[in-house]
Amino acid sequence: MSASRLWLERTVGVVCVAVVSAAALGAGGKSATKGPRRAVAQMRLPEAVTQDPPAKPIDVQPVDRGTRPAVAAAARAVDALVDKGLETHGVEPTRPLEDDAFARRVYLELAGRIPTHDELVAFLRSDAADKRAELIDRLLESPDYVSHFYNFWADILRLQERPDKHLVFEPYLDYVKDSIRTNKPYDTWVREMLTADGRLWENPAVGFQLRDEGMPLPYVDNTVRVFLGTQIGCAQCHDHPFDHWTQREFYELAALTAGTQTRPGGPGPGRKERRVMASGSEAARAARDLQLANRDRNQKNKAAVAQYLRANVTNVAFADKKLLLPHDYQYDDAKPLTAVSPKVLWGEVPEAVRRADGRQQFAAWVVARDNRQFARTIANRLWKKLMGVGLVEPGDDFKEDNPASDPMLLEHLTDEMLRLDFDLREFVRIVVSTDVYQRRAVLHDTMSAAPFRFPGPALKRMTAEQLWDSILTLVARNPWSIQRPTTAEVAGIMNVDLRTASLADVDRGLERFLGHYGKGPAKRRMMQVCGYRGLELVRASELPTPLPLGHFLRQFGQSDRETIEGGRTVATIPQILAMFNGPITHAMLEQGSVIYDEVTSHAPREAIDVVYLAVLSRRPGADDRALAIQEIMSADDKATGCGNLIWALLNTREFIFIQ
Amino acid sequence: MHRHHNGTFLDDRLARRAVFGRIARTTLGVTLLDGLSGPLAEAAAATNKGGVNLVILTMRGAMSHLDTFDPKPGREEQGETKPIQTKTPGVVFGEHLPRLAALSDRLAVIRSMTTETGDHQQGQYVMRTAYPVLGSIRHPSLGSWALHVQGKASRELPGYVLVGNGNEHPGAGFLDPAVTPVPVADPTLGLENTVRPQYLSEKNFNRRLALADKLDADFKRAFAGPQLEAYNQMYKDAVRLLGSVDLEAFDIAKESEKTRDRYGSSTFGQGCLLARRLVEAGVRCVEVEYGKWDMHREIFEELPETAGTLDQGMATLLADLEDRGLLSSTLVVLATEFGRTPRINENAGRDHHPAVFSCALAGAGVQGGMVYGASDERGFRPAADAVSVPDFLSTVAAACGLPHDKEFMAPNGRPFKIGGGGKPIRAVLA
Repeated sequence: MSASRLWLERTVGVVCVAVVSAAALGAGGKSATKGPRRAVAQMRLPEAVTQDPPAKPIDVQPVDRGTRPAVAAAARAVDALVDKGLETHGVEPTRPLEDDAFARRVYLELAGRIPTHDELVAFLRSDAADKRAELIDRLLESPDYVSHFYNFWADILRLQERPDKHLVFEPYLDYVKDSIRTNKPYDTWVREMLTADGRLWENPAVGFQLRDEGMPLPYVDNTVRVFLGTQIGCAQCHDHPFDHWTQREFYELAALTAGTQTRPGGPGPGRKERRVMASGSEAARAARDLQLANRDRNQKNKAAVAQYLRANVTNVAFADKKLLLPHDYQYDDAKPLTAVSPKVLWGEVPEAVRRADGRQQFAAWVVARDNRQFARTIANRLWKKLMGVGLVEPGDDFKEDNPASDPMLLEHLTDEMLRLDFDLREFVRIVVSTDVYQRRAVLHDTMSAAPFRFPGPALKRMTAEQLWDSILTLVARNPWSIQRPTTAEVAGIMNVDLRTASLADVDRGLERFLGHYGKGPAKRRMMQVCGYRGLELVRASELPTPLPLGHFLRQFGQSDRETIEGGRTVATIPQILAMFNGPITHAMLEQGSVIYDEVTSHAPREAIDVVYLAVLSRRPGADDRALAIQEIMSADDKATGCGNLIWALLNTREFIFIQ
Repeated sequence: MHRHHNGTFLDDRLARRAVFGRIARTTLGVTLLDGLSGPLAEAAAATNKGGVNLVILTMRGAMSHLDTFDPKPGREEQGETKPIQTKTPGVVFGEHLPRLAALSDRLAVIRSMTTETGDHQQGQYVMRTAYPVLGSIRHPSLGSWALHVQGKASRELPGYVLVGNGNEHPGAGFLDPAVTPVPVADPTLGLENTVRPQYLSEKNFNRRLALADKLDADFKRAFAGPQLEAYNQMYKDAVRLLGSVDLEAFDIAKESEKTRDRYGSSTFGQGCLLARRLVEAGVRCVEVEYGKWDMHREIFEELPETAGTLDQGMATLLADLEDRGLLSSTLVVLATEFGRTPRINENAGRDHHPAVFSCALAGAGVQGGMVYGASDERGFRPAADAVSVPDFLSTVAAACGLPHDKEFMAPNGRPFKIGGGGKPIRAVLA
């Protein structure tokens, strides 16, 4: 009934010439008669994804080959510490990875996908002494790296396109991607986000503060958790008996950023129509007038007009403001509703900013070099990303009674982060260059009481995004047919000068906006370009966020982007059903898919090898080969046999786990 | 293992095996695993028609107690939500719950719930497991315990279905992966991808599975452990499910339009309808999430729709279960992670309030028409009979006939109880 059938017959036709005898060429079988022509028309892959990708889908900061010796030396220093730990605890390291398994792992970890057949074969054939270092460097400067690490940060920063109806977050999402693309030093990046002022399309870094708009206490809680690996949230309500932090300390810290404002003149008395009426800028007054006029019109997109106006006046600014203790403050050291003086949790505010406003002080303190917890948190986070287990687990709960499994190693990695001036990509480059990273994976039971000693990286399931992008690698030659809008694009569409705008201008602006970023039109446009049976065949990083619960990515555990690091890799039945019967696993059987072309462009006798290299990134063993041949020979028709082989490999644990 | 004295394990032989299997796996390493897969699979397939069904309605984001089950008429804190009289004399609910007010004689409302944390994720975890989040272990959710102890009621259908987002859910915790909830993202779509592509015959499908098994044998052997075992188990369950004639229990389109309308067009309402169908078909536990309660802003604009959706879905579910004679064997739990502040903030919303909040129970094992405990006059703290989350979940366990006072051994060698060692509220139990 399908193109896949047609293809399978052809392919297997050829496979079978070699594997079996000419007798197998009865390839037609039952299925051949069933109008493949009609089916081809129904189920073709969209043209945009079968074309060659753009030469530079994303222009990435190149990796400096000159620092390779320094990277190697730094990797050796890490290895020495890991090996010492192994020796002390009598744990045997696992054996070094072969080239094929190494390639699969670094592709998945740095590029977020499996290698294509051709990429893998080129790497395996190379006899250059530094071919692993070269592969690492090439991947770190690839568009795939930006896409993959964008996914990594999207999970941490809870990146959504509309965290609230009036928050048009596309510019912020673009900013995050861009910070990865340019490899912006991490301390600079974080400081920008914690201190940015303005509207989203003027200064998109404001998105971080707007993510918790109107919730100043959760904002501080989340910020400390993400960047300083410390949980103070319980102290928001009361002193927790088992926790270090008091409610007073929480409020003292929150007092630093309490003056962050996101609306002109502050929030109104509680009614939407009064919200933007509060005294404020000229623009805000204009917005109020427009909104009031709009209310009288009784038009059907009244709410949309209101949100559009609100988006235009949403503006982050700061003016110091006192924070009062809650009215139910129950401890003896202060009275309820008294103002707290701002104070950081530990250490001191850096000298240079002591006269600056509270928000500047807070940001400077968070990212300061002598606030080692900042460097330690990100070092531990990246170590966990690559090695599967953090030195402190969970990585957002550093405290005295949750010590690092190897404190020396963690402090060394922290030193490295500081030495590298928060160059995250260089840090990643060092870790993946270590021997320990290039060893075979081991099982780690997260429920085991024994600390993990890193005899090799821990076995883990691909993230939802790695799985999606890997399957896409087997399907789409061009996974970049659609990319996220840029800040400039959004600005051109969103921006209205409210002081001079008429209602008609607002209507036109809104129409433009909905036409581009409204859910329906955006989806339709994507489907037109790269849609295949209800799915958009583009990289996970370019898909809408959050995706609906039933999407393949959500089934496999992608975060709803509501909770920090909400992604999961737990097994569920709907995942298996999607692998069995869902459209994405069948897309690769279509004519014009990557694996189709890879198989058909090789000699027939190589077909089984090509399938293995493309799907599992290795050649079949003798037993595998025997089973594959047997399957193809004994299937109803030979076409089916080959389809079965590809399907079967996709449904192995070997495919979805990273060894 | 020295804690294995009398009574620390269930008498149920299969459940016991499952626990042993888990322990063996983590303490004796991987060699035992292959030998255990037989009995484990058997345990998963075992059925038990009796026992109490459990439907949990999880209000994510923290449901405001003052605006739902614990109004404070005449107080400034009450804001815009008016009280309405319920069927139970002297008991009022918030105005957005008229249908539940009319069914108050079926409800046991607890107004003195209290918890430790004001963090959503942690609060939800505690409400599902009775234990705080720990880095070193994942605790089983109550539904997984119920399934673990009572077994499945249907051979092919899953024992535990979650209508909502599986990511946040503790699931089976340290129990066998077989008691993991099956997430259904959208109740109107039910369980997706259950139909084979037309070109794929059943015979070929089975060939594919067998081939995958053989080709994967080396890898499975090399990395045998809980992670892979969970996937092995899901593959088995998925295949068993695909062969089930009861699959249409997942399809609410089989209901009349009139019935569907009675539950309301919301995802939550349709989820309640799906819950009813699944319980009827023999699914032991169904959890339906509803996540719009985190009302830091404009709470009185949000409440009519959100609370109204809860009211319609839950009230229709209770009525339907009763009509079908299922309410006496099904416990319906309305839970939320904490309450919301009595004080209305400057954005006209209410913030997180763990000190006191409300939950409710109805059906099997509990008394109707009762209010247990009370908050103080402002709705700020428990005034009488404070109920901790472990107390609440122990009450649920007791109502379901689960052994809440028995110790179970987790793989880290530490003892755990269903309901976290809380004290069941005798006054609420029937």
